[in-house]
Amino acid sequence: MTQVTKEELAAWADGEVTGTRGKEIAAAVAADPRLQAEVEAHKALKAQLSAHFAPIAEARVPDRFSALLSGTDAEQKPAEVVDFAGAREKREARRWIPRWGYFVGPALAATLVLAVVLPGGPDTLEDSDPALAMALDSQLVADQDTGGETRVLLSFVNEDDRYCRAFSQPDRTGIACRDDSGWALQLEMAGTRQSGTEFRQAGAEEILAAAQDMAAGPALTAEQEAAAREAGWR
Amino acid sequence: MNPPFEQQVLDLLPRLRRFATGLAGNAADGDDLCQMCVERALANRRKWQEGTRLDSWMYRIMRNLWIDEARARSRRSQTFVGEDAGLSVGSDGAQEAAVELGNVDRAMQRLPEDQREAVLLVMVEGYAYKEAAEIVGCPVGTLNSRLVRGRDALLALLEEAA
Repeated sequence: MTQVTKEELAAWADGEVTGTRGKEIAAAVAADPRLQAEVEAHKALKAQLSAHFAPIAEARVPDRFSALLSGTDAEQKPAEVVDFAGAREKREARRWIPRWGYFVGPALAATLVLAVVLPGGPDTLEDSDPALAMALDSQLVADQDTGGETRVLLSFVNEDDRYCRAFSQPDRTGIACRDDSGWALQLEMAGTRQSGTEFRQAGAEEILAAAQDMAAGPALTAEQEAAAREAGWR
Repeated sequence: MNPPFEQQVLDLLPRLRRFATGLAGNAADGDDLCQMCVERALANRRKWQEGTRLDSWMYRIMRNLWIDEARARSRRSQTFVGEDAGLSVGSDGAQEAAVELGNVDRAMQRLPEDQREAVLLVMVEGYAYKEAAEIVGCPVGTLNSRLVRGRDALLALLEEAA
């Protein structure tokens, strides 16, 4: 019985193996249902991917490309996209969808000096700012009123295994962590939020960079967050 | 007499956009990548030899741009605030993003770059293994094994998502 590797079988399925060897593989496939299944899976995936990406090739090419190519003199044409990351950031600023992953990086570390690191004291937000404490207790990132005073940006677990939440308010952003007595503010920064749905206020990027430094792992998913609220953030 | 260079590039654009979207994972990033590729090709048009395949030349440019970008991005995003976390920051954004990416796109994005480009070049763009290997700049055997690993990973991911 002919031995056929996965690589050889894929190549054969793609019409890359012909001649004597091609015939040998064809015979081996005909005799072995497992090989047949693998060839079928290969072809089915190829068909699925072709169909998935076909609409892009069939769509009308945006005008920006024909404009780029319509001139005869290359110097006359605008060469706007010289930096991919820059273009992405510009575009996302337009869409107002923050993708913090791209903003929170080593470059921001220098701006962290702006953050006021509060001394860990006995004061909890339950005493000093009950409204904020309540918002931190109750609001989930994925499900909150955009018109509210407090907006929770994300939740994470810090290195002491406590739940922490980064939040923004119209005039400030901050991070609070929950200990046994309640929520304690870890740091806060002044900032302004432009409207209920726009939360790229000054300070948010720095706060998220600070969250990155404090966190022991990734930000909580919506499910993890809901479970944490259920457990009283302990 | 061949059509002018610009016209040939224009004719390739639908395919180039498809490849760019596959590499970048979404249409908006794909179009930025595609625009960079066209600009690079225009700037370097004298390096292209008339009579050789313009498509392979441009795919190679795009692929190299993307690899550079992917390296820069992995340096930038050494962060715990992953794409998923970022998208959940605003519920409006999360919804838009969720309709942007389907199962296939998400599965493709989880492949290593070398496997993703092998899968795209052969299974979507329809290149022979030898042509795909030349675009990537690797031996045919390497391309073949990347394709198989990428394919198997995709099949597993899609099954998981189903």
